[in-house]
Amino acid sequence: MSVEFIIQLIAALMLGIGGIFAIIGGIGLMRFPDVFTRLHAGSITDTLAPLLIIGGLVLLVGFDLLTFKLLAILFFLLFTTPVASHATARAALAAGVQPLGEDTRDTGASTSKS
Amino acid sequence: MDTVLLGTILAVFTTMALSLWRALAGPSVYDTIVGVNAFGTKTVLLVALISFFTGHHDLIDVALVYALINFIAVIAVLKLVRQRDLATSGSQDER
Amino acid sequence: MVLLVLLLVVGTAVVLTRDLLKATMLFAIYSLTIAGLFVILDAGDVALTEAAVGAGISTILILATLALVPAREHRQRGHNRPALLIVFITGAALVYAVSDLPEFGSADNPVHQHVGPYFIEQTYPDMGIPNMVAAVLASYRSIDTMGEAIVILTAGIAVFALLSVPPRRRQRAPDAKTRGRDEG
Repeated sequence: MSVEFIIQLIAALMLGIGGIFAIIGGIGLMRFPDVFTRLHAGSITDTLAPLLIIGGLVLLVGFDLLTFKLLAILFFLLFTTPVASHATARAALAAGVQPLGEDTRDTGASTSKS
Repeated sequence: MDTVLLGTILAVFTTMALSLWRALAGPSVYDTIVGVNAFGTKTVLLVALISFFTGHHDLIDVALVYALINFIAVIAVLKLVRQRDLATSGSQDER
Repeated sequence: MVLLVLLLVVGTAVVLTRDLLKATMLFAIYSLTIAGLFVILDAGDVALTEAAVGAGISTILILATLALVPAREHRQRGHNRPALLIVFITGAALVYAVSDLPEFGSADNPVHQHVGPYFIEQTYPDMGIPNMVAAVLASYRSIDTMGEAIVILTAGIAVFALLSVPPRRRQRAPDAKTRGRDEG
């Protein structure tokens, strides 16, 4: 059991679990009933799956210029996809799309000029 | 390791197909935007995985550029859908 | 491949959708699928350009144009049968021509015989640039690239001139559109 074999095993596990999370997020994107809940499902595929998959690829490469590029992709995805989801949710709420559910009274958090 | 990469590539393909289905069948325009955003992020992952699978490691730059462009395109789309003009700024959130 | 099937689905959906905003988004997905295909065929420079132009700039420019036009496509009545016949014949001729092409990527294709080996062997001694595609674009055929840059500059100026007028009549809700068209 050399260290290299363990690292390859962990990388394979991370790639596999990342792929499974991506499919789970995709199924959620199909089956959820509302725009806002679909945003939740979409953000799983956008943040958790890249974290695991690119983490697995970084473990496969070692330490190289390629590692810096992969980490740059990962950091950029982690910073920007939550911003895009938040902007979509805010735009949808301000355009009048009503969330499903009993208590949909707006508590004023999104239409205040903050 | 090649089979694990191939399995992950197939999983990412499946997610792309599912998000494309949501982009086609969404009742409002925001469903389409959610689908396109997810499709774009999956394309970044797909390009990174393919560059490892074929061994040509210099294709990683395509993934990097695309991650940047996807974000800017989604924000521009949201701004245009809300305010019909790319040049206005500020919080005009109420109707 | 799966990407080719996705490409067919997206292309059909772009043509059949009546809502122009959704068609623009689907067009961005179409460009992404083409970029993915280019990456599989190991063409990195082309994939980079296709992703940047097709999914980024082209989408934003089409959306900026959409702010100035009605939101749904006007439906054409009836079918144009002579046009359908001409398109069908041309498509069939193109498919027949594709079957006559030499095998993809084999070493004794005519395109690989004359200038190709010269570029592969002499690029680094002549120019000192390791990337052969960049050397051909920027050193051997540099006047062509200058012409392309002039064309793109002209197109950019034209687009900027067309889109720099702010849309005065579209700032209210879309049901005020007919009122806006009278006063615009």
